[in-house]
Amino acid sequence: MDYMDMDTGDNEPAINVRDSNDLNVNFILRNVDLSLANSLRRVVQSEVPTMAIDLVEIESNTSVLPDEFIAHRLGLIPLTSGNIEKVQYSRDCDCDDYCEKCSVTLSLDARCTDERSNMHLYSRDFMVSNRADLSVGNPVIRDPQGKGILIAKLRKGQEIKMKCIAKKGIAKEHAKWMPTAAVGFEYDPNNLLRHLDLWYEENAKEEWPVSENGKLEPTQEEQEVFDFDATPNRFYVNLETVGGVEADRCFQQGITVLQNKLADIISALSPELANNNPVDDYQPRSPGAGGDDYGNGTSYGGGFSTHGPGAQSSYGGQRTEYAGMTSYGGNY
Amino acid sequence: MVRHRDEAIDAMLEPFYYQKHITEKIDTARDKWNLLPAFLKVKGLIKQHIDSFNYFLETDLKQIVKANQKVCSDVDQKFWLEYTDIRVLRPTRVDEEIQPHGGSTVTPHECRLRDMTYAAPIVVDIKYRRGSTIVKRKDIQIGRMPIMLRSRNCHLKGKNESELACMNECSVDPGGYFIVRGQEKVILVQEQLSKNRVIVESFKGVTQASVTSSTHERKSKTYVLIKKDRIFVKHNILVEDVPIVIVLKAMGIQSDQEILQLVAGADKVYQDQFLINFEEVMKDDIQTQQQALEYIGSRVKIMRRPVGQYHGRNYQQEAIEALSSIIITHVPVQGMNFRPKAIYIAYMVKRVLMAIDDPKLVDDRDYVGNKRLELAGQMLSLLFEDLFKKFNNDFKARVDKVLKKANRTNELDAYEHLKLHSNHITSGMDRAIATGSWSVKRFKMERAGISHVLSRLSYVSALGMLTRISSQFEKTRKVSGPRALQPSQFGMLCPSDTPEGEQCGLVKNLALMTHITTDDDEDPVRKIVFILGAEDISCSTGVEMYRDGAYIIFINGTPIATTMQPKRFLTGFRKFRRMGRISEFVSVYINHHQAAVHIATDEGRVCRPLIIVEKCRSRVTQRHLESMRKGMMDFDDFLSRGLVEYLDVNEENDSNIALYETNIQAHTTHLEIEPFTILGAVAGLIPFPHHNQSPRNTYQCAMGKQAIGAIGYNQQVRMDSLLYLMVYPQKPLVKTRTIELIQYDKLPAGQNASVAVMSYSGYDIEDALVLNKASCDRGFGRCQVFKKTNIPLSRNINGSLDIINAGLLDLTKEQHKKLDWDGLIMKGEKVTKGDIYALKQTPLNTTPSTLLRPEGASRTIQYKNAHPSYKLPVGAVIDQVALTSSESDITNIKILTRQTRRPELGDKFSSRHGQKGVVGLIAEQADMPFSQNGVCPDIIMNPHGFPSRMTVGKMLELIAGKSGVMTGALQYGTAFLKPRDPGVQSVVEGYGSELIKHGFHYEGKDMLTCGITGEVIPSYVFTGPIYYQKLKHMVQDKMHARATGPIALLTRQPTEGRARDGGLRLGEMERDCLIAYGASQLLRERLMLSSDQHTCDVCAECGLIGYSGWCQVCESSAGVRKMVLPYAAKLLIQELGSMNVRTSLKLVEEFPASKME
Repeated sequence: MDYMDMDTGDNEPAINVRDSNDLNVNFILRNVDLSLANSLRRVVQSEVPTMAIDLVEIESNTSVLPDEFIAHRLGLIPLTSGNIEKVQYSRDCDCDDYCEKCSVTLSLDARCTDERSNMHLYSRDFMVSNRADLSVGNPVIRDPQGKGILIAKLRKGQEIKMKCIAKKGIAKEHAKWMPTAAVGFEYDPNNLLRHLDLWYEENAKEEWPVSENGKLEPTQEEQEVFDFDATPNRFYVNLETVGGVEADRCFQQGITVLQNKLADIISALSPELANNNPVDDYQPRSPGAGGDDYGNGTSYGGGFSTHGPGAQSSYGGQRTEYAGMTSYGGNY
Repeated sequence: MVRHRDEAIDAMLEPFYYQKHITEKIDTARDKWNLLPAFLKVKGLIKQHIDSFNYFLETDLKQIVKANQKVCSDVDQKFWLEYTDIRVLRPTRVDEEIQPHGGSTVTPHECRLRDMTYAAPIVVDIKYRRGSTIVKRKDIQIGRMPIMLRSRNCHLKGKNESELACMNECSVDPGGYFIVRGQEKVILVQEQLSKNRVIVESFKGVTQASVTSSTHERKSKTYVLIKKDRIFVKHNILVEDVPIVIVLKAMGIQSDQEILQLVAGADKVYQDQFLINFEEVMKDDIQTQQQALEYIGSRVKIMRRPVGQYHGRNYQQEAIEALSSIIITHVPVQGMNFRPKAIYIAYMVKRVLMAIDDPKLVDDRDYVGNKRLELAGQMLSLLFEDLFKKFNNDFKARVDKVLKKANRTNELDAYEHLKLHSNHITSGMDRAIATGSWSVKRFKMERAGISHVLSRLSYVSALGMLTRISSQFEKTRKVSGPRALQPSQFGMLCPSDTPEGEQCGLVKNLALMTHITTDDDEDPVRKIVFILGAEDISCSTGVEMYRDGAYIIFINGTPIATTMQPKRFLTGFRKFRRMGRISEFVSVYINHHQAAVHIATDEGRVCRPLIIVEKCRSRVTQRHLESMRKGMMDFDDFLSRGLVEYLDVNEENDSNIALYETNIQAHTTHLEIEPFTILGAVAGLIPFPHHNQSPRNTYQCAMGKQAIGAIGYNQQVRMDSLLYLMVYPQKPLVKTRTIELIQYDKLPAGQNASVAVMSYSGYDIEDALVLNKASCDRGFGRCQVFKKTNIPLSRNINGSLDIINAGLLDLTKEQHKKLDWDGLIMKGEKVTKGDIYALKQTPLNTTPSTLLRPEGASRTIQYKNAHPSYKLPVGAVIDQVALTSSESDITNIKILTRQTRRPELGDKFSSRHGQKGVVGLIAEQADMPFSQNGVCPDIIMNPHGFPSRMTVGKMLELIAGKSGVMTGALQYGTAFLKPRDPGVQSVVEGYGSELIKHGFHYEGKDMLTCGITGEVIPSYVFTGPIYYQKLKHMVQDKMHARATGPIALLTRQPTEGRARDGGLRLGEMERDCLIAYGASQLLRERLMLSSDQHTCDVCAECGLIGYSGWCQVCESSAGVRKMVLPYAAKLLIQELGSMNVRTSLKLVEEFPASKME
């Protein structure tokens, strides 16, 4: 992907993607407040929905590992969650227990018959069925042998037969729904803002290695005068996923989730909208399932398929639409 | 023999060579410690237990039988029975046929599961007289001996890893314990003052030399003490203390000159001190041996004699008996030759005189060289000898009873009677080990707490128990001496591993290389002594013995010879030992203060191997280490070639030992193998312990035993009453050599947590930890708890049995849904409080009498339901259901329940540096601080934990671990580890430079960003991996509250304790607060209304308690009032009444009429 350099001095929020592949995206987020940048990080880590095995119906388990041990392992297996919006939250679904609209069934049926060696059960051995979208709920397999994750080992005569129900969820509930691995986040690598008291034993320069990002910014020596009013506005983000969602998409979904959350607050606080959704019978609902006019990306401009100006306009758009209604956007 | 089961150890040996190639040069200075794994390969960690037990089976047992070989009858002089041999076979089941050579299929694990005793038949060969013929019989079982696991008779002996796996046994498990009635029992090592050694003590101004003589027959203590400048002999058998001169005269040394010389030599000072003793004897006018014997005989306590025998006393005879076989029994008197014993007593006197002259010569009771450790073998031999004697007595009594009969129908066959008593020995051994109380009547020994259940909380706790030493004596003594760290325990006993509190310093642990000796035969040693040119002591006079330059040679504390060239004698003796002519465990050393050469061959001395240094060069050279690496030499070869030898504490203190090869000087005699071996197995887990404050290492030693982790390879098939397992245990990133040697990395107990040392949220004060919720989701600190419930189907007195009545099963009942067709709960079923385990029924009538049953009544037994159920408030899963039958043929249903627990608030965690803490907060990962790379800690620890604790080792562990993570290698934090590069000052420097290479600060500090605000945390934060242990104290097992609930029967007050759903006590101090505050109504409520309020009738007239409005004493209802009081008060009044103490209550109007006006 080719992005033009947006560093033209304007104050529009911008994203500069430095490197990207399906597991990892490395970009510079500019011209946003620290709080927004951090909110995005938090949301990406804990509120972007993914699929993960949530229910395990055990028909037979004669392995050495107890049921809940295996169930816990199964839950942590990353599943592809690209088109997660095609799957509903189970609690919002019409069905009683679970159905193909809100879940994916992965079944595991293995029995070791080999006398000499133990059978290794990998995540590739799942049979995936009953799902709304074919791209959802496949175990992520990234190793060169294509085996996936080792679930259990079976000895001759041992058997594992279980039906696993993967559901949509967010990492706030359980870390198995976390789409990300490590999310790197850094601003002001050379400490121009003096947020960090630069402790050193003898010589700061020798003792503290300069980070990669630090090379892109002026050093403290180059800084002419310390600016008391300066705020951070360049954020070096490196987002790594566990493979369930592409990295850039994961970030976009994070933006969507954050927007929806903010929209919920606005709707709750604005009087005319509040009437539609009286506080009295407010019921908990899933993030993103706004119900009102604030559904997925409706009033925020188009979808969020690009990192560039499209996203920016949506930020701008909000400002005009809700200006003066709440404090939100006021100090933006 | 041990060699071929060492696949595991061989693999373990590899990393010890620093990943060097075989061709690489060996540096003796650095690689000499490779001897240590070689030592453990041959000796094993708990070899002392197994060696001791083996010695008991091989040698001691036969000696006991030899000493009690013949049984004769008092009635028929012709009858006799003789034991010709005794053997212990390999373990069998009780009901199995004895096959002297064939094997049984019983395994230790079967015994654990079936509540059996892992025991082997004891068989004897006998020869006896039947009528006029002499009959020989072989292989007659006289009892069963519990067998120590991995001893020479154990089925596990010599098995390799896969064979052990087939027997459901863990290959890492060290053995060394017994299985009695299904329980694993360890006989702890007992520490005692050495036997048969003269100890000079001085307290309250009395200086005395004492010796505890111990032989198979008798144990007694003899004192030589000084009172008002005069010297006496004191012994329990003597009514009063006997002057020393009289004792020596009684022993045949009649000349005063000889006495003086024997006692004081030619030394004028000692002679002057001693002279006064002669005056005393003069007064009594005792000159000859006869007179002396008469004197002593009249002061011997009267021994009980068989009834009907001559009651008159023969003083001389009694004195001779007392002197020869009761006083100082371990010095034998052969053919009325009292001289050795006289020399012995004279020597004791000399020691007393010396100690008075120079108080420095008083012995130190706490000196490790003066102590002996008693092991399982010795304890069992005491017990067995007692039981065997009782067995023989019983047998004799039976035979006598039969022989007494005038007209017997058939010839007496002793064999029939011998067989009848085999149960005594079996049950005696079983009971002693199972209860831990040893009672040996012969020695009036009554000791409790000898054996303990092997703690299986974690692998280290089991190991720690097997190396534990408990001190038998002076538990109540308020002095600190016995508890203090003794310099002489260097290298023998672990300086760190001791409990806190009551037992502090009394319970100790063995160091890594310690070995405890077994008994060696004295005779060959005695021969060598004379071969080396020493002169027999019984041929020398006192002057000769004590002349200048003469050294007395002692064997096991008894003087046997003198020499004028002690140094030459010593080197000669050592040469013989290094050549293998004498056992390697015989020690020899010179005590210059006493002018004595001591040779010790007795059992229970602690010793350890050291490298021999000759001519300023280590005997172990590169060549030897190379051939050891190639497997051509093992530790025993090092011993037999005289490269390495064992030194006991006394000899160690007579040697000059260099710590490192560079320290060797002209007078150096030995070289330490490796300094970290001064620590024990448990303290060895601590990385960088030499950087910690010493009590922290001690705390970790206590906590390492509480850590949840892997227990053994057979943990899945075990059925312990309580078992904690960690779901994902990890081997520590920073390990030590000890960890590898004890194979802790195969059965670890803990996880490598990434830790940030910073303050966060305020929920981390007072050592609380903040945990990352996502880490807990992913399995950090997750553990399984297994609990066993026994459902015994016991036999009642009338012979009726408890039953499982599957016929009651009614699947329409909600309660029965989880039961299987056999009436037992199904495996894998989830249970909550109140769920039934089994449809058990007990007979209604369990009284033994059958007479009560009316004639013609049906013989069917009536049953009532007694369904056992799950009791705990938190649910669990049924892990296993097992039906077992024990040796007494009682069916026992064992149900194992399993809980999987994730960490919660209040669970206890600890690092390996005595830094424990509870979870104070479980924070969202998004809220946790993170580094630029997005790395987020699992645990946040408050930095206030460091300054006062001074656990620098923990910081080093973090830095070492961090560099290990970066380089992808496990790091070492072994105690006293020296850096490989001589230019570097400490190992940490290497880790620091490694960190710099990977873009980190060398001190392990990182810049973190706050997860909540996104701002950089103003200070750098110390971040990196630290090994954390989850301890067994979990909130779920402790939390408890109650509104109302059960009350105790007697006092009607709420019950106590969580297990009984008890109330929470408002204690005395809390009560004091309320009194001080004046909250009278609150007090009334807490102490009475909410506890044991009781209303009773009190008679205002007489003040006694009445009943239903009537006073029994006044016989009226006139003055009876209702009164509210605590039930306990009412109970007290009545109990006093039962003791004839009248308690009357005076009643006063609450609102007197006078005041109402």
